[in-house]
Amino acid sequence: MSAIIVDNVSKIFRIPHEKKTTVFQNVVGLIKRQFSYEQFWALKDISFEVKKGEALGIIGRNGSGKSTLLKILARILYPDSGSVSLNGKVASFLQLGVGFQPELTARENLYIYASILGVGRKRVEKMYDDIFDFAELRRFENMKLKNFSSGMNMRLAFATAFHAVPDTLLIDEVFAVGDEAFKRKCHDRMTQFKAEGKTIVFVSHGLDAVKELCQRSMLLHEGRIVTMGDTEKVINDYLAMPRRGTKQ
Amino acid sequence: MWQYRELIRNLTVADLKNRYQNTSLGFFWSLLSPLLLAGVLYFVFRNLWGREQNFAINILVGVMAWQFFATGSSSSLRAIVGNSGLVTRVYIPRQILVLSNVLTSLINSLLAFIALLPIIFILLGHLPVTVLLFPLVHVLYFWFIYGLGLLLSALYVYFRDVDQIWQVLVRALFFGSPIMYPLSIVPPNLLPYYLLNPMTQLILIYRDVMVPGDLPSLYGVGIVAGFAIAAYLVGSFTFKKLERRFAEAI
Repeated sequence: MSAIIVDNVSKIFRIPHEKKTTVFQNVVGLIKRQFSYEQFWALKDISFEVKKGEALGIIGRNGSGKSTLLKILARILYPDSGSVSLNGKVASFLQLGVGFQPELTARENLYIYASILGVGRKRVEKMYDDIFDFAELRRFENMKLKNFSSGMNMRLAFATAFHAVPDTLLIDEVFAVGDEAFKRKCHDRMTQFKAEGKTIVFVSHGLDAVKELCQRSMLLHEGRIVTMGDTEKVINDYLAMPRRGTKQ
Repeated sequence: MWQYRELIRNLTVADLKNRYQNTSLGFFWSLLSPLLLAGVLYFVFRNLWGREQNFAINILVGVMAWQFFATGSSSSLRAIVGNSGLVTRVYIPRQILVLSNVLTSLINSLLAFIALLPIIFILLGHLPVTVLLFPLVHVLYFWFIYGLGLLLSALYVYFRDVDQIWQVLVRALFFGSPIMYPLSIVPPNLLPYYLLNPMTQLILIYRDVMVPGDLPSLYGVGIVAGFAIAAYLVGSFTFKKLERRFAEAI
C-alpha cells in the first residue's frame, strides 16, 4: 500500500519584477500595465510513490526544489498542476516549535504545540512526564518560554514532536541542534519510528544521516528528479554531479 | 473543523492570555475600556441629549454592542499575517486562525455584557425578561464578525492597505450608528437608508431587549441576519479562493 502518491506535480513561482503589496501600487500597476513577472519552475513533472513504512530521502543542492516538494506534501503549498494523495495522518516538521508563544509557560506551550501536531489533550496528559524527561526540562515546566535559551526551546519542541503519533512524518533537516547526547537520542527515536512502520520523508544535506535512515532516495536538480532508487547509488550520482559554475 | 476543536480551544486561550499578559488589571480591561468610552461620550453629549429617556444606559449598551464589532473585525484582520509561522511552516486549516481570533473577541464581549447586567439593574431598578434573547442575537452577531474576519484577513495578505481602509470605515460607521446620539436626530428622508446599517440595527436590538424589554423588530433582525449570512458566504468564498497562495504571499 502506498502512503504517498505524487502524480505529475509542477510548481511555478511567480517573481514579480516589482513587488506590489498595497492597493495603491496595484492600481498604479493596472494603469501602467505592468504585470511583468518572471516564472520560475520550482518543480516540474514530479511523480513518485512512497510505500507504507518506507523511509525516503530527498537530496539535492540548494534551490533544487527539495523544500518546495516537502511543503507541497505537507499541504502548505498547492501544486499548480498534478496531484498529491496522502494516506493516514501526516505530521510535518519543517521547523520545530511552530506556534510557540514566548509569553506563556513551557507547559502551556506543550499543549498548544501538541494540538498543532494533532495530538489530543488526553494523550498529552498521559505522555506529559515522558516529554519533560526526554527534553530534560522537568524543573522548568512553569517557566515562561521567553526566558528559555534557544537550546531549551528546541528540546521542548523536539520532545513534543517525537511524542506525536502520525502515520507519516515529513522532516526537513532539523537535527543540527542540541548537544551530542541529545542528538543521539533524537536519532534513536527516528530509528524507532522507522521500526514502528511509520512512513518517513526526509530532506537533508547530511548524506550520512540519509544513508543511515533511508533505503531509497531521490536526487533533485532544478526542479526535476535526476535519479531515484537505492540510496547508495543516488548519493554517488549526487557526488558525481558537476560542480556549480562548471558547464555540464 | 470538529476534529480541530482542541487546537481552536488552545489557540483561543493562548490569545486571551496574551492579550492581557503584563497588564495589572488584566481581564478587567475588556470591561473597563468600553465603560470609560461610554463615560466620555456621556459627559460630552450630556448637554445635547441628556434629557432623552435612559440616555446613560443607552450609551452604555450601545458602546458594549459596538465594541465586539470594532475589536473583533480589526484584530481578526491580522489573524493570517500575524500568524505567519502557522501558515508557512505547518498545515492547519487556516480558517482556524480567524475563528480562534473572533472567539477571543466574543469571550471578551460576553464578559463585558455580563458585567453590564448588574449596572442596568441598578440604574433601572429591574431587568427585563427579554434579556434572555441576548444569546440568540449574539450568535448572529458572531457569524457576521466571523464572515468579515475571513474576508478581511484573506485580503490583508495581498493588500496591506486593507488595514488602514478598514480603520477609516470602522470610524465612519461609529458616527453612522446611534451610539452617542438618539435616533430621532436622523433626518426623516435619510432614515430608511440609515436603518439599513447592520450596526444600527444591532444596537437597536440590544437596547430593545436590555432596557425597555421590547421584542426586537423583525425588520431589524432580518437586516442583521441578512448581513451575517452575506458576510459569511462572501467571506468564506473569498478565503477559499485566496487561501491557496497564502504561504507564498505572506
